[in-house]
Amino acid sequence: MSATATPTAPDESTRRSGRHRLSEGKRAERRLGWLLCAPAAIVMLAVTGWPIIYSVWLSLQRYDLRFPHEREFVGLANYVTVLTSSYWWQAFGVTLLITVVSVAIELVLGMALALVMHWAIVGRGLVRTVTLVPYGIVTVVAAFSWRFAWSQDLGYLARLFSPEGAPLTERASALAIIVLAEVWKTTPFMALLLMAGLALVPGELLRAAAMDGASAWQRFTKVIVPVMKPAILVALLFRTLDAFRVFDNIFVLTAGAQGTSSVSMLTYNNLIKGLNLGVGATMSVLIFIAVAVIAFVFVKGFGTAAPGSDRDGRR
Amino acid sequence: MALTGGADTTARKAKWWFVNAVVVVYALVPVLWIASLSFKTKETINDGNFVPREWTLENYRAIFGTSEFVRALVNSIGIALIATAIAVVLGTMAAYAIARLDFPGKRALVGVSLLIAMFPQVSLVSPLFEMERGLGLFDTWPGLILPYITFALPLAIYTLSAFFREIPWELEKAAKMDGATPAQAFLKVIAPLAAPGVFTTAILVFIFCWNDFLFAISLTSTERSRTVPAALSFFTGSSQFEDPTGTICAAAVVITVPIILFVLFFQRRIVAGLTSGAVKG
Amino acid sequence: MGGPTRGGRRAAAMLGVAALVAPALAACGAATDDGIVINLYNAPEQNLGKVVETCNQRAAGRYRIVLNTLPRGADGQREQLVRRLAAHDSDMDVLGLDITWTPEFAEAGWIREWTGRHKEEAERDVLPGPLASTRWKGRSYAAAKNSNVQLLWYRSDLVDQPPATWQDMISTAQRLQQQGKPGTVLLTGAQYEGLFVNYNNIVGALDGHILSEDGSRAVMDDATVKALEVLRDFARSGVTSPSLTNQREDDVRLAFQSGNAAFQINWPFVHPATKAGNPQVFQNMKWAPLPGVEPGKPGRATIGGANYGVSAYSRHPEEAFDAVLCLRDAENQKFQAVKDGLPPTLASVYDEPEMAEAYPMRDVIREQLRDPALRPMTPAYQNVSTVMSTVLSPPSAIDPKATADRLREELQAAIESKGVLP
Repeated sequence: MSATATPTAPDESTRRSGRHRLSEGKRAERRLGWLLCAPAAIVMLAVTGWPIIYSVWLSLQRYDLRFPHEREFVGLANYVTVLTSSYWWQAFGVTLLITVVSVAIELVLGMALALVMHWAIVGRGLVRTVTLVPYGIVTVVAAFSWRFAWSQDLGYLARLFSPEGAPLTERASALAIIVLAEVWKTTPFMALLLMAGLALVPGELLRAAAMDGASAWQRFTKVIVPVMKPAILVALLFRTLDAFRVFDNIFVLTAGAQGTSSVSMLTYNNLIKGLNLGVGATMSVLIFIAVAVIAFVFVKGFGTAAPGSDRDGRR
Repeated sequence: MALTGGADTTARKAKWWFVNAVVVVYALVPVLWIASLSFKTKETINDGNFVPREWTLENYRAIFGTSEFVRALVNSIGIALIATAIAVVLGTMAAYAIARLDFPGKRALVGVSLLIAMFPQVSLVSPLFEMERGLGLFDTWPGLILPYITFALPLAIYTLSAFFREIPWELEKAAKMDGATPAQAFLKVIAPLAAPGVFTTAILVFIFCWNDFLFAISLTSTERSRTVPAALSFFTGSSQFEDPTGTICAAAVVITVPIILFVLFFQRRIVAGLTSGAVKG
Repeated sequence: MGGPTRGGRRAAAMLGVAALVAPALAACGAATDDGIVINLYNAPEQNLGKVVETCNQRAAGRYRIVLNTLPRGADGQREQLVRRLAAHDSDMDVLGLDITWTPEFAEAGWIREWTGRHKEEAERDVLPGPLASTRWKGRSYAAAKNSNVQLLWYRSDLVDQPPATWQDMISTAQRLQQQGKPGTVLLTGAQYEGLFVNYNNIVGALDGHILSEDGSRAVMDDATVKALEVLRDFARSGVTSPSLTNQREDDVRLAFQSGNAAFQINWPFVHPATKAGNPQVFQNMKWAPLPGVEPGKPGRATIGGANYGVSAYSRHPEEAFDAVLCLRDAENQKFQAVKDGLPPTLASVYDEPEMAEAYPMRDVIREQLRDPALRPMTPAYQNVSTVMSTVLSPPSAIDPKATADRLREELQAAIESKGVLP
């Protein structure tokens, strides 16, 4: 993307600066800027840009590694296959469900946690430290912990809540456990993002509101939330896109059995188990589009300020 | 901040300690559970007790006795360190340019890295699997390091440019006026100011690489490059009829230790890094 | 535009360094070989290590077999092998393959064809069922390692006569429950291949067809619909374990071993395993052919087992073929039959005198192997199996007609490898 933008940009600015030529210093600065950014830009484009184009190409082929002789160009047939498959839509539904439910819970819990971290009068360091544990811990490790906690016989939670059944093999309870694992792991991240927003709420404003007789709840909804709105939206955007990628927890907890596959899990299964590169690539492209749509809705629909977008304005 | 008076502070403090306790329980119970399982003996692992009734180090002895785990640990450490080093160097260069220099294409770069930060990683698995097979990168260290660098770079660039913007660059000019060479000015004045930000970024990037599972399980196939998170799900029990629960838990605890150390020693930095990079940036 | 190019070179150089350093670091773990190493990849089997030792001694330094253990589940085993074969991994020589994988591995060109002296020796004395599983499109691609067939295991202290039909078995179990005795019937009901095997047994007993004979078309005839009904009725009869949908072979074995069940449908490995695990239950553990569906018509059992294949990417194929022939020779098959409960594929092994005592189920096993229920032979078997186990799970939710229609449609896409895998 920037590969196309970079060459045109200098032309534009040359035209803009028009008659007075760029000073030597200015040009050196530009060169240095490009020089410094180039390695990062090249790596990022090489490892994402080209594969994306390549996966579009793969998605137009019948390409199953088990039938190497049958590789051929099939146009949009793979898209028809995937988009008419009930498994795809089931996985899509599961992904949306997990995303919406877990992000909603995280928002509430994360806000509570942010308030605690921000206003705790004792043990603030302690709270912040332990909060970072779920954030930092390897997702797979946490997922194993939840799996063993809910396994029959083995687990303390299974004994407590479901002594007879096997919660990880029932669809509803398995989904609930996946959401639990997601929420546990990512609430702290949400809380940290929100805490940063909370720091922007002016103390005088709260004191003034309190003087005017506003209750704690009113102060929260009328003062804190409006000021924090940009931070909340950014946090939601980050977490929504992140939750949409859910894979690790499902892989460990259910491996997608009993209709608990997410789109990522389904892609993995078709690619690695089925070795069907055509269908796998098709799903890759579709997921990419879905994520782009979500990001677009957030940015255009809710007016989420993309982090970094104010960057040039600031300088 | 929300202080109102001194008379009821004890009661308030008690209330806050209670809230803190809830948070501590929330954050630590799953970690303690997996640690507890890792210390249980084969006979008691199925007892469902939160605290082991009989303690043993057998599971740790078992995993460190197999190349399966030791190799995976070496892979995890090596791959994460190399990826972190490269990502931080490249990220520092780019972030410096973004924070300090004015050049066309800057917005595009910021936009691209933002896109990548939100990118569904699974979309890359199919093409990378096929490309790495062709290039001979499949199941090698570089085969994992490359995607890790890519996805770590946006994180590195955001966090670092936020830090760099806080640095009082006038000091550099002042030092030069006082007769210091540019190199001296950089080493003596700017580097010490920038170091904490770079260090924090390195921790965040390392945690990110350490954590990855999707690439690790899709782009590796043997002990040669399989990292611990991926290796965990391939553990086999010591006999045909035994689940490898104890050894999985022991390995899980081992790879949690560095995270706990980071959190304990660098809590302030990590919080600062996460909040500044993501929101202010 | 000089900037980006120069920077690009620098980035490339840096990546180059990483690329150089990493393999050097990674290589230090690789085995430095003094002599030829034959890497064997196989499912965990308690005593396979001893067989490997025997063969290493016999090879007398010509090669050394190293046993690498794959995960316990067949799906996990296949996933590991396939991924490495897709990447043309040359560190695998001998592959322990579930018999259902032969067509897939052969079609993809991942295993070598057996010819000449090797083929002749590998096929000598092999029972017809296992032999058929080593072939694809008229060529030979593997050597039969062990066969396998499920039996009905029951507690003779609770049940006098093994039931002849599923209905018998269910009502016997219900009666036991009413008497307050352990009346559970255990089988592998988790969402995996094991569930499909149980269904395939019932289909076999009814002479049904899931796919056409040549494996190219999904049929799902009336008998398979009836079989769906039998499986569903069983799942709803109240005699199943509460964790039916969670149980695999070893869970079933453990549950039976703990004494809480009257019946289990399982592979013969339970014989040595229960003997070691709970001698008291073992005393009363008896075996019988699988129940049928219609009175007077015997049940049929799905043939299982494993073959050895030689990887197409092996650097030492000659030695690998020789190693296989040793690993599965008569002596080693007998050893593993007695120690691991694995049914031999060589007819002569069944007739050896010491088998009578050490492997008492041999007659029933052979009888079942004479006319087993077959699983579809197709390179897309993994797809078929995944679709089957997904659609059949949980068995209590089966709606025979509708489920059959759904299977017909999804199986067709699966055998053409055109559909989406769940």
